[in-house]
Amino acid sequence: MQNYNTKEGGDIVEPFECKIMAVDDHMGIRKMIDAILRENGYKKIISAGNAKEAMGLFLREQPDMVILDIMLPGEDGFSLFGKIREKSDVPILFLSAKDEDADRLFGLGLGADDYMTKPFLPEELALRVGAILRRTYHIPEMQKEREKRFFLGEREILPEQAVVRYRERETPLTAKELMLLIKLNENRGRIVTFDALCAAVWGDSYYGYENTLMVHIRHLREKIEEDPSHPKWILTARGLGYRLVKE
Amino acid sequence: MKGLFRIIRRYSLTAGLITVVILFCNGVLLMGIVYFTAWQEGADKYYGISLRLMERVGEGFGMEAEGYILNEKGRKLLEDSEFVWAMALDKEGTVVWEWKLPEEIPEQYSIQDVASFSRWYLSDYPVKAMVKGELLLVFGCDPEMVSRHNLVVSSVLMEHAPDYIKLIIMANLLVIAVVVLCFGYRFYDSMKPIAQGIESLAAQKPVRLKEKGAAGELAGKLNAASDLILEQNRVIAKRDYARTEWIAGVSHDIRTPLSMIVGHSDRLSKDETLSKENRMLAENIRRQSLIIRQLIADLNLTSKLAYQAQPLKKSRFQPAALARSCIADFYNEGLGGKREAEYEFETVIQEELEQVWIDADEKLLARAVRNLIGNSIRHNPKGCRIRVTVEEQREDIRFLVEDTGSGIPENVVQNMDAPDSTVHIMGLRLTEQIAKVHGGRLEFVRREDGRYDAGICFPRSC
Repeated sequence: MQNYNTKEGGDIVEPFECKIMAVDDHMGIRKMIDAILRENGYKKIISAGNAKEAMGLFLREQPDMVILDIMLPGEDGFSLFGKIREKSDVPILFLSAKDEDADRLFGLGLGADDYMTKPFLPEELALRVGAILRRTYHIPEMQKEREKRFFLGEREILPEQAVVRYRERETPLTAKELMLLIKLNENRGRIVTFDALCAAVWGDSYYGYENTLMVHIRHLREKIEEDPSHPKWILTARGLGYRLVKE
Repeated sequence: MKGLFRIIRRYSLTAGLITVVILFCNGVLLMGIVYFTAWQEGADKYYGISLRLMERVGEGFGMEAEGYILNEKGRKLLEDSEFVWAMALDKEGTVVWEWKLPEEIPEQYSIQDVASFSRWYLSDYPVKAMVKGELLLVFGCDPEMVSRHNLVVSSVLMEHAPDYIKLIIMANLLVIAVVVLCFGYRFYDSMKPIAQGIESLAAQKPVRLKEKGAAGELAGKLNAASDLILEQNRVIAKRDYARTEWIAGVSHDIRTPLSMIVGHSDRLSKDETLSKENRMLAENIRRQSLIIRQLIADLNLTSKLAYQAQPLKKSRFQPAALARSCIADFYNEGLGGKREAEYEFETVIQEELEQVWIDADEKLLARAVRNLIGNSIRHNPKGCRIRVTVEEQREDIRFLVEDTGSGIPENVVQNMDAPDSTVHIMGLRLTEQIAKVHGGRLEFVRREDGRYDAGICFPRSC
């Protein structure tokens, strides 16, 4: 409850306190969105089945975010988007069964914050809604996201100080080592390819950095692994990239 | 247009050749006739006007007591000849001998008379005269058979005759060449629009020619053919569009109920109040629904690629990076629920390829490569080793996916173009379509066990 930020008009908002409006002509989908969001901690969810009802509800309830279907009876989602935008800058996520690139680009081109296609995984919807809300109302916290400390077993990584803390001892990390570690941590549990690592750290393609990357990873392992020759945290995916193991 | 020019050139050459051949034949024929009429021995009999005959008749004359007589041999020659009468004049112009002399022929001639008939006619008879000793022999020809013309030729003309003949032949050839070229040009000119029309037709462009001139009828038919092709193309495009739209519509309609299945099964699979077994069942439903989602997306894409409704979104990227990220994605997405330890990936990337950048639709190519890898995983549930090779083959780049598992059976390879309901190859066909829109192809590599591995091959500058 400490990290409050202000949204337009000066109100203080915490993500889970945000009011989210779902517009979809299919009642089953509306109920499901409601259930998914509630399960993920959101408390204020309202919904509408068509554009007219949605506009009335929007003006009355002033939601903090809108999830919008495109194919609606009568007026479509794109048009409703325009009307909402005339009144407010609330974030809008299109959730549509239309998976054409053209629709996606059109929706994003209008200024939508995101575009998801059906069928979707509940977790993905919750994550995207969360990301949009944080991005819109909690910008400083987002910036701090990268600076957040994390743990590798007993070792604590402090990005702000660029050090690894282990049993009261601090080992400094070079800038490149830190960038590598942050990139791996952002995708923790997943393989990050050599190409993606080089792009993140040197802004270049893998060619010419093969050895450099290997050396940096070895140094990093020396600082964070118990036994650098039998790594436990940074694993090599042969021929592909590296993976930072989840705890 | 080059084709038309070639036709015209051949036409002109042929016309010229025909002319030369005809002229040559004429020359040969003329010489033959001259030879047969003037030089052959037997010709005398029919044309009996040769000097030689007259000479031999002249030799038969003799002076007897009663006057001049012609011996038997001379008479025989005359009888066999074409002359119809003959006479001999003495120095005074008096007829001293005659043979079959018609009544109207006078008996006495002055110098003027002789000068006249020796050049022209005597009482309508063309005659030939010859001096023999003191006599002037006159032979009368049949007016029906022989006519007489007087030709006076200057010696200068005769002297230059060969040059003149050459000149005439040259002039003839020149006139023929000019005429042939003129006609050729006119032919070319009238055929030009037709040739252009056919070229446009071949390029599927609309044709609208003026239906005038020598080729007017042809132009009309070309216009009609063009209209027909355009109309057919329009109908086909409309049908293809309708089919693509229909598939897009159906997949759109399936997506909403599928959302409910995915969403609810996902929630059930995480519901702690359910038994572990039921949660597993829900997880299974979720997984299968995601497969349906992928199939719908594939169906949609395959129909769009088939009817050219999918524009290529080209960007610049490295094929080596694409291969790595495709494989990493399989690991990161949990290998579709399969156990990771059972699948071993090997990536073989030529070192030169690490520096290669291409312009292509990255998303589509990634999909093609993922389809191939996905096939290896799906068809080998007990695990296998999968090797992804990225290599350069001349101007092409090839992604080859090989596995130690079941491989692709022969009947799938054989039925790529003729779909058989017993083989399910939408994924492979989609991969082939993606390769084709990039100007490439799907390649099958035969293994020792008779089954196949697949790869896609496309030009570096696609």
